[in-house]
Amino acid sequence: MKMEDMSLSGLDNTKLEALAQDIYSDLVEDACLGLCFEVHRAVKQGYFFLDDTDQESMKDFEIVDQPGVDIFGQVYNQWKNKECVCPNCNRSIAASRFAPHLEKCLGMGRNSSRIANRRIASSNNMNNKSESDQEDNDDVNDNDWSYGSEKKAKKRKSDKNPNSPRRSKSVKHKNGELSNSVNADPYKYNYNTGINYETLGPDELRSLLTTQCGVISEHTKKMCTRSQRCPQHTDEQRRAVRVFLLGPSASSLPDADTMVESDCYDASDGQVLMSRLQWDGSSDISPSDSASSKASTNNSDSKKPKKKKKTSLGLNSTGGGGGGSGSGGGSSSQTSLVGLSNRKKKPKLPVPPAPSIYDNLN
Amino acid sequence: KTDQLYGHYCSCLFWLNHRLKELLRAKLTECGWRDQLKAHCKDVIKEKGLEHVTVEDLVVEITPKGRVLVPDSVKKELLQRIRAFLAQHAT
Repeated sequence: MKMEDMSLSGLDNTKLEALAQDIYSDLVEDACLGLCFEVHRAVKQGYFFLDDTDQESMKDFEIVDQPGVDIFGQVYNQWKNKECVCPNCNRSIAASRFAPHLEKCLGMGRNSSRIANRRIASSNNMNNKSESDQEDNDDVNDNDWSYGSEKKAKKRKSDKNPNSPRRSKSVKHKNGELSNSVNADPYKYNYNTGINYETLGPDELRSLLTTQCGVISEHTKKMCTRSQRCPQHTDEQRRAVRVFLLGPSASSLPDADTMVESDCYDASDGQVLMSRLQWDGSSDISPSDSASSKASTNNSDSKKPKKKKKTSLGLNSTGGGGGGSGSGGGSSSQTSLVGLSNRKKKPKLPVPPAPSIYDNLN
Repeated sequence: KTDQLYGHYCSCLFWLNHRLKELLRAKLTECGWRDQLKAHCKDVIKEKGLEHVTVEDLVVEITPKGRVLVPDSVKKELLQRIRAFLAQHAT
């Protein structure tokens, strides 16, 4: 801004002050005019009085300024001590505990399904152990549920609201999961909460470990029920758990069930393969060619070189594998499984079997 | 003479006008001046009738009241800024 042509410096203070006042009043007038134009436009366009309500409503919603009451006039703890009747179980529940009670009662909250599953699992374990030898196998095969679980399932279903979409979704989900598991294994187990490995039989353990991560948590002593690729645990841990629970020579890989029928040695092939893969630091699908070739050269040392690529591919898709090198193969794995009950009672020792693998690899 | 000078300044004080105007408007809205005046507008409109009120009506009624209603703090601050600006550009 060029000020040379303006002789402001010549002005004394009074004039400057007058100038300032002029400027100020001009600005204020400008603001007033702005408001007038806005209001006039609102009047002419018809929206000026839109935000008004009638006097009665205004009185209804007036701000309340009394002690003990909020500005809407509501009392703070009014409903705290009231009791409500639960529509489900018809009990009288305190108001502040009503919501959590409903959660449990209807089986709809986050924790309620876990608790229910746990209860079912523990009761099923007790039921199934006594009924596995019965001749009710027809019943077991006919229904998707095993006998003991059916009772609990019926009871659980009646608790739930059949109309709620969330309910049906979870029921379907559970049904599907269970029928899959039942096909592989007649024992039912829960998969929402961790499982206590001490209460499970050897077959259960084996089937569990083929589908689940199974790593035993140090805090809860329970097995992880997430998938084989669960990000919380490494393949090393999974392998160690399998070694611990099933013995060093056992194969507890996901395809173990199917592979046992086809060929015993493939399981061990896969084990060495998996341990090789882990040793290389990749638990994902590494180039199966190099892996299988390594496995084949290794196997030639200890047993018949039966290399089947399709099985190796199948194993590559899973994250974990049992420990143990190719000592004895699959047939021995079954015999070693029988002696599992002794092993289970030992304290966890995931480390000792590991060096043996590495020795073989070297 | 003040007017003359002021005329000169108007052309160069666009920045001042713009910035100070915005500032003043914000302050007036904050302090409730605007709502007060608007309520006064409502009275005027009800008095003159919704259909027939003109801009002039409003201006005549509102502007004097508006000038008076400006809080002292706002007035002082604005004057201060103006003086500072003038002093800055006096040399």
